Parts: sequence; C-alpha cells; structure tokens
Amino acid sequence: MANHRVGETGLADSGPSSNHHHHHNIPYAVLHGMNVPPSFMHQEGSAFDFGELEEAIVLQGVKIRNDEAKPPLFTAGRPAATLEMFPSWPMRFQQTPRGSSKSGEESTDSGSGVNTISSKTENQVEPESPISKKTSSLDQQQQVEMASDISRTGTSQNQSAAAKTPQEKRRGSTSEKQLDAKTLRRLAQNREAARKSRLRKKAYVQQLESSRIKLTQLEQDLQRARSQGFFLGGCAGTVGNISSGAAIFDMEYSRWLEDDQRHMSELRTGLNAHLSDSDLRIIVDSYISHYDEIFRLKVAAAKADVFHLITGMWTTPAERCFLWMGGFRPSDLIKMLISQLDPLTEQQVMGIYSLQHSSQQAEEALIQGLEQLQQSLTDTIAGGPVIDGMQQMAVALGKLANLEGFVRQADNLRQQTLHQLSRILTVRQAARCFLMIGEYYGRLRALSSLWASRPRESMMSEDHSCQTTTELQMVQPSQNHFSNF
Amino acid sequence: MHYQGDYYWGYYMPTRSIGSDPMERVVKLASEKAVVIFSLSSCCMCHAVKRLFCGMGVNPTVYELDQDPRGKDLETALMRLLGNSQPLPVVFIGGKLIGAMDRVMASHINGTLVPLLKEAGALWL
Repeated sequence: MANHRVGETGLADSGPSSNHHHHHNIPYAVLHGMNVPPSFMHQEGSAFDFGELEEAIVLQGVKIRNDEAKPPLFTAGRPAATLEMFPSWPMRFQQTPRGSSKSGEESTDSGSGVNTISSKTENQVEPESPISKKTSSLDQQQQVEMASDISRTGTSQNQSAAAKTPQEKRRGSTSEKQLDAKTLRRLAQNREAARKSRLRKKAYVQQLESSRIKLTQLEQDLQRARSQGFFLGGCAGTVGNISSGAAIFDMEYSRWLEDDQRHMSELRTGLNAHLSDSDLRIIVDSYISHYDEIFRLKVAAAKADVFHLITGMWTTPAERCFLWMGGFRPSDLIKMLISQLDPLTEQQVMGIYSLQHSSQQAEEALIQGLEQLQQSLTDTIAGGPVIDGMQQMAVALGKLANLEGFVRQADNLRQQTLHQLSRILTVRQAARCFLMIGEYYGRLRALSSLWASRPRESMMSEDHSCQTTTELQMVQPSQNHFSNF
Repeated sequence: MHYQGDYYWGYYMPTRSIGSDPMERVVKLASEKAVVIFSLSSCCMCHAVKRLFCGMGVNPTVYELDQDPRGKDLETALMRLLGNSQPLPVVFIGGKLIGAMDRVMASHINGTLVPLLKEAGALWL
C-alpha cells in the first residue's frame, strides 16, 4: 500500500492480507459526511484501507495505554456481549501485546494528541452501544463506524479493551503508526462531548423517575383523602394544608348538600302533588331547620377556622366570587327572589321590601364595623415606630379574633332573613321560594364545574370570530372612502 | 349620637350619682334616654351597632365604658345581666334591654326594632 499518509501513521506495513473488506475510491467517511481529518482526504489511486485506519486508532490507544503504564481497565466479558450481536464482524479489537509500543516513539506531532486522549480515561464499555446500534450489512461500513465511534466515544483504554481480533496480534508491526495532533484532539473532543451528553441524559432520566414516584405518591394521598370524605368540589385547596376544623366543616357541608338535594326533591314532589297546607308546612319547616343546622355548624367552624369560612374555601369558585362575609348576601337573595315570588299581596310586598331594606341597613352596619376592624388592624401592624414587635403582634391577634364575631353576625343575618321570609309568605309561596333558593345555588355550583372543564380552544376561536366581524365592518367604510378615487 | 358630657369626660358629678351599686347605675342610665348603648371605644362590633342606629336616623346615647373610671364595674354588671362573658355592645331601648348585637340584628330583621324605636320616641316617620 503506497499510501504516503498512511505511511506516516505507520500503516504502511499492513499488507493486503489484512484487508478483508471492500475498497472504495471515495472514503466512506467523506461519502457520509463524517468529520474526516484532512490527512485521510488526499488518497488517490489506491483504495484507502479503512481497516488500517481503525487499526491505527486502536494501536494509538494501545500505545498510550502502554506509555501511561496504567492497568487495563477493560474486563474481558463486557464487549464480548455486544460484539457477539454481530457475529459476522471480524473481532478486530483486542488487547495487544507490548509490541505496539514502538508506534508512539516514532511520531512527533501526535504527542499532543496522545496527551489529550490519555487524559480521558473514564468510560469503559460505552462505545459498544453506539457501535451495536449501527447494524449494517457491509463489513466496511461497520468497521469504519466502529473506528470512528471508538475514536469518538471511547478512551484509549476502551479502544484497547475493545480490541479483540486476532489480527491485532498479527499487526504488532504496525504499532509505529501515528495520527497527527489535530485528529487526536478532535477525536478526544468528540469523546468528551459524547460522555457529557451521556451524563446529562442519565441525570434527566433520574429526574424523570423521581418525579414519577412523587406523582404516584401525590395521587395516592389524594385518593386516600377523597375516600375520607373531604369536600373537594372545586374548592378546598391542597388537601394536606387544610386545618382540622376546616376539614370537619367541609365534610359536614358536603353531607348537608346531600341533605339539601333530598329536601328539594321533597319540596318539589310536595308542590306538584298539591299537598294540603299543613302537610306542606311540615316540609317547609323541615327545610328551615335544615338551614338552621348549617348555621349551627358554621358557628363551630367560625370558632375553629374563621379564614376558611371568610375566604369561601368551602364553596365552589362561582359561589366564592359572590361571597359576602362567608356566605350569601341577604339583600341580594331577596332581590333575586322578588320577581319570582309573584303573585304577592300588597301586605306581602311591603313586608318583602321592608325586609330587604332592613337587611341592607344591617349589612351596611356590619360592613362598617369590619372596615373599622381592618383600619385598626392596619394601624397596629403597619409601619411606624416599633416599640415592642411581639406586643404589637399580640394586639393584632386579639383584633383579628373579632373576625369570628362578624362572620357569626353575618350568618345570623342570613338565618333571620330566611325565617322572616317564611313568616311573610304563605306555605306554598314559602315552598316555592326555598326551592328557588336551592335551585339557584345548585346552578351556581354546576356553573363552577362547567367553567372548570370548559374547552379553551373554542373560547379562543370565538374571540377570533368576533375580531374578524369587526374588521369586516371597518373595511366597508374605507372602501367607500376610496371609491371616489 | 349623644355622649353624656360629664360621663364622657370621666368626670362624675356627685348630684347624678345614685349609688355605688353598678347594676343600679346601669338601670338608671339605660332608662334616662330613648336609646342607650354601652360600648367600648376600641370595639369594632360596637362601632357596627352604632352605625346601624345612625343609619336608621336614630341618635343613640353611648357610654364608652373603657373611658369611664367605674366602667369595669358596669361591664361586670352587664355580664351578669346578659349571662355572657362579652356583654358589649349592649342596647337598651326605652329602658328595656334589647340585648347584644345578634339580638339587635334579629329584631331589626323580624321587624320589631323599628316599632320599639318609634315607641321610645327615638324614631319618627
């Protein structure tokens, strides 16, 4: 092989007997756009022997290993496992005897390359995987790929480790071959880059695994909490952070809602069946006591966790939006009912309007009281000279405790309003009225869940359609404007 | 709103003193005016009840017990009267005990408060 470059790298001694693969005029690496060191580009005439290239690389690695006098890190078993996948491949890479050490001394410009390669001596058998992935029928392709992969991904030790072919031993005389510094540097950098990307991939996979475990754990917690009857219908934030008083109230409230459904169906059937007034009165009274019960529960809840009530975390989002001091606003409820309660006698109308008026006055008084509380709290904890921080906080805590009183008074107002309604109205009217109230809040709750599950894309397309219509409308006048020209 | 001048300034005129019994004083003060509120100046619920009456156009007479030298005794007496550890605010109309905030609210909603006020002369049509 009169390959001048090859000769420099010490491949000149390799005879044709070593070639057991195809010869192409165009180097494989060039054909496939690989990063080919320019040293190998200049071959003309005789076909380039890729086997000798790979051998050179391997031997270079072997030489480095020997130079460094490091113990071989290769364990015989591992590459065999992957290489056995391709029994047709010649086993070219094996540990070579000492005879190859001569190749190192002869080259000068590979010295720096040697150092760069030898500095990277970590991975053991990694190069096998990229190699094994590239299954190709052509020996030459395989071997070129093996050569380039080994140079990129393996360390010198690996290269030598991978070397198992018997030809290696036969090629002891080729140990003088050298690669130039640039090539070696590039190969080393490729190896390093490959190693880094492997490490990144490993870290990412580990992160995914731990997140998956965390997710399944969260799901289990959620399932457990659900089975214990926590009320989660679009409200109560994270299950783990709920206070026991709030949790208890949520459970009681969800049970109350179920009872509410039952009462409402009773009212409905009672109205439709045209029961006698006395029978209907029983149903209406039971509904009123049903409401009395929730107000009783709210007294305890306000004592245990006033913020849970006042922030409306026990309700659904739509209800929460219209929340007033931890519940419905009585004057708003009456406003909602007034139109639907027809026909009313004049006395009843007056009664309803005076009820609305007095509830408005009471609401206003509570709002002003709450405002004063807020002002007082602000004065306590806002800036200014801090004489005693803890004392300030203690005072603030005392003031904050007044919130419970306001929520209780608001609930009291709500309860009194419902009672007064039942006094003003006849039994049938009262039955209809309470049915209306129940249905109203049921729809509000349903609205919350519908809102939560609404399809976002269709909402966006609606926006676009609105936009286009306005654009069209704008086009018209401009066209008329330009028609004069 | 009408604060008892001498009382408000913590200055108790001897001619007005009835006795040392706080309960007697409570009863006496409550029956002197149409609408009497015993309150604490710092309490926000007291502020709410005052705003309620003012909003209705009533001019209540307010005794701030935290500004009275013998306020503590009156407060204790009211505690006994109401059977409640937190008696303030408490409202008397026409000398009659109405109660704390929740009673006042309830009576307003069920329509009994306004007639009482009219009866006591605190409210005119």
